Amino acid sequence: MTIRPLAVLLASIALAALALPSLAQGELVRFTGQLLDVRNGYVYFTTGDAFKLADTPRIADYDTGKPTTLKPRAKLFARALFDPATKQVVELDLTARHLAPDVAYAAVAQPLAATRPTTERAPEIVGVKLTGKEVAVAFLVTVPPTTPLNASVYISTDVSGWNPQAIKLDRIDGNRYRAVRRFASGTKFAYRVTRGSWNSVAVGNDGLQAPALEYVTKEVDAQEARTDVFAWTDDRGNAPQGAQPGAVPTPYNPNPFQPGGIFPAPHASPPGGFPTPRPPSQPNQPPH
Amino acid sequence: MLQMRISFLIALATALVASATSPASATPPTSLDVTASAVNFYYNRFIVTADGNVRVRLSDGTVVSGETFTMDLKLNRYLVAGDVHLDGPTVHETGAAFAGYPDLDRSYFLPASGTPSRATYLGIDWAHPVANREQPGDAFYFPDLTGERAYIKADGARIVPKTNVLFDMARVYTAGVYLPAPRYVVTFGPNSHYYENAFAGGRLDVGVPFNGSAHSLTALHVRNDAFNGTYLAFDQHFVWDQDWIVFGVDPLTQEQRQYNLIGYKRWSPKFESRLFLQESAAQAGIINRPTNAAGFAQLQLTGGFRGSSLTYTQDNYYQYLLGLPHGITDLNVSTPEFDTRWKEHPTDASLVFTGGPTPLTHGSTRLLLRPRAGIGWAHDIYGEGGYPNEQPGPPTVSYRYLGGSLYTPAINLTRSLAFTASYDRQRTWYSLPHQLDNGDLRLTLGGVRERQHLRAFVAYEIKTIDDYWGSAQLAAYTPSPDISVTPFGTFSGQAAFRGLATSRGYTSSVIYTPTPSFELNLMLSRFYDTPAPVPGLYGQPPWQFAADLRVRLSRQILLDLGRSYYFNFANERWTPQFVIQFTP
Repeated sequence: MTIRPLAVLLASIALAALALPSLAQGELVRFTGQLLDVRNGYVYFTTGDAFKLADTPRIADYDTGKPTTLKPRAKLFARALFDPATKQVVELDLTARHLAPDVAYAAVAQPLAATRPTTERAPEIVGVKLTGKEVAVAFLVTVPPTTPLNASVYISTDVSGWNPQAIKLDRIDGNRYRAVRRFASGTKFAYRVTRGSWNSVAVGNDGLQAPALEYVTKEVDAQEARTDVFAWTDDRGNAPQGAQPGAVPTPYNPNPFQPGGIFPAPHASPPGGFPTPRPPSQPNQPPH
Repeated sequence: MLQMRISFLIALATALVASATSPASATPPTSLDVTASAVNFYYNRFIVTADGNVRVRLSDGTVVSGETFTMDLKLNRYLVAGDVHLDGPTVHETGAAFAGYPDLDRSYFLPASGTPSRATYLGIDWAHPVANREQPGDAFYFPDLTGERAYIKADGARIVPKTNVLFDMARVYTAGVYLPAPRYVVTFGPNSHYYENAFAGGRLDVGVPFNGSAHSLTALHVRNDAFNGTYLAFDQHFVWDQDWIVFGVDPLTQEQRQYNLIGYKRWSPKFESRLFLQESAAQAGIINRPTNAAGFAQLQLTGGFRGSSLTYTQDNYYQYLLGLPHGITDLNVSTPEFDTRWKEHPTDASLVFTGGPTPLTHGSTRLLLRPRAGIGWAHDIYGEGGYPNEQPGPPTVSYRYLGGSLYTPAINLTRSLAFTASYDRQRTWYSLPHQLDNGDLRLTLGGVRERQHLRAFVAYEIKTIDDYWGSAQLAAYTPSPDISVTPFGTFSGQAAFRGLATSRGYTSSVIYTPTPSFELNLMLSRFYDTPAPVPGLYGQPPWQFAADLRVRLSRQILLDLGRSYYFNFANERWTPQFVIQFTP
């Protein structure tokens, strides 16, 4: 009868020994990561964790396990072999190849780090966990009803170098344009709505130049970004009758349906034979 | 004039130097000067890297050196790693890595002395690091640049966070090779005004931005257009939070040149001004005195209200800035080089109210109104020339107008089909006296078929322009010959025109977008106009077909191919127009 408790006790001890690497003879803990530096007897990983290095750690090639000419330095990836008994890294297997994140790092390696634990909270560090999953984003722009039927409408973004024709939208009815793009969650950019040039940009709902709109892709399955255009910067509506030849439609300037046709050239031209001075009215280009 | 020009150039040069060397010492760092054995810029990722003997000088004078540097310009954070030395008037530390987060006004450090720990610097208080404070989990992560090619290789970089990077001794990847440029500026901030230039449209525009600071950008452009051929142009931007100025010389290397200046100033949250100045000059060389020059100035003042705005605009034309052209002695005699109507300075001005959408009805079928009204006057191009039925013409024409758009938002007929209707009407009263009525009725049916990647709409539109002269109607619209002979043939039906014009048109469009990299847009229009258009004289082609294909060939190249077909109107069939966009 006394044998059974003894057997259970022995089995428990054996299981515990296997479960705790420090008690398991010759059992090294392995983890991978990207190096920041090796300094003052410690190896630093990009997690910010430092691990004590053995006096003469083995430096080997990650793929072959053989000695390598690579030296531990920033940006290299490494597999560290950590001896729990001595609490030191005894081997670093190096590679310049990008290695996938070690999913077990937090559980396996972080508890072994020599870095002092943090003791103070930093309230300024906030954020929502973003997985970077692809999200279908529909941009829906409502334009003023006077926008010509054949007008092209674009979204210009800072990531496109403010190319005024970065994302072309499709007219879907009398008032609206639409385009669908896919972005990783967390994608953030600033954008403006244009008609293909910086001479024709959406203004704010008070008619004034508006700041660029901010866009962030959320951690959702699908997203919609709606923008209502109050007016365009070149939409001086019907307004000033420019003091240029042929500015007012009369029988002597019979071009009632501008723009969009073949029109006679203005009769008067300024001196020198070069074009009438007027504000730029055609698409211009960004400086690169 | 010459002294003015030189003074202006000196002032501009001074502004350039001042803008390029503006000191900055506020917290957080307003600039980072990076030198290293190799500095690379990855445009796809907006990431700057530097390797080998890296030295980063922050704007407060603190120097961080190490083996490698990386900065994500969009996330606005940087990292120096490997044998890091942090040196400044109040700090001398060594460590494994240093990460700067200007947006948080924090710097995170891994000291290498004693037991490994974490240190956090608050702002630029380098003398009092906070030990063992929580740090962002990825503060010391390097970005994964596997498979990315550097767009720019350089010896050094001056980074102005959230604004631009100036690369020294840059090699810019262009069409498969790295082309050297002594300096090159990449602007990446959320302020688009660095990109709003004052150039006219062209067939080609390659910009080489070569100087920049926190508030300026200077660029040289290689341009091509049908009128000037291939030439150089120059533009200078000054940009603040909302205000901006852009000055351009276009072309810089041709005799017929335009100097443009656009300035924008927000005086208060609800009041802004915009100024456009243009000098067109016939000028040999770069700074020689021009032989002829004309000027144009436009001032626009806008006051914003909730959902509406009031705008005053004034245009001034100056045809002979340098006096009368050679050989002109009588201002009342027109010659091939002189139009008598230019002898005074034509001017026009207007005050315009633009209203926002105002709901007239509520419920499922809403009706919205966007009103507008304005007054204005124009002097003197009309008066000097006059009208055949008003001789001599008045020196000034004034007018006032009232109009508005009545429209419905999209009314969903089915899940994928929507209907919209709008009617725009305006009446303009002129002092001459006559009045002009404009009308535009538009009915649209649009649909989206997501599964088939199709969008389509069909629209019916009636436009009218009616010019009423009352009892002088027949004098204003005297019967013209019924037959018009143009190089494109003989056309009749003009004699009945009495100042009332109508255009009815159908427009249909189909857009096929199977992927974001491919889009085909087909549009067909049919117009029935009265009076009927005469090729070579006026009017629009009755049939118009346009096709536009946009294909992204690679990450850098977007091909935009557009062609129109006019069904032999004015002997026009296919009009070739090819646009190829290269993006870095």
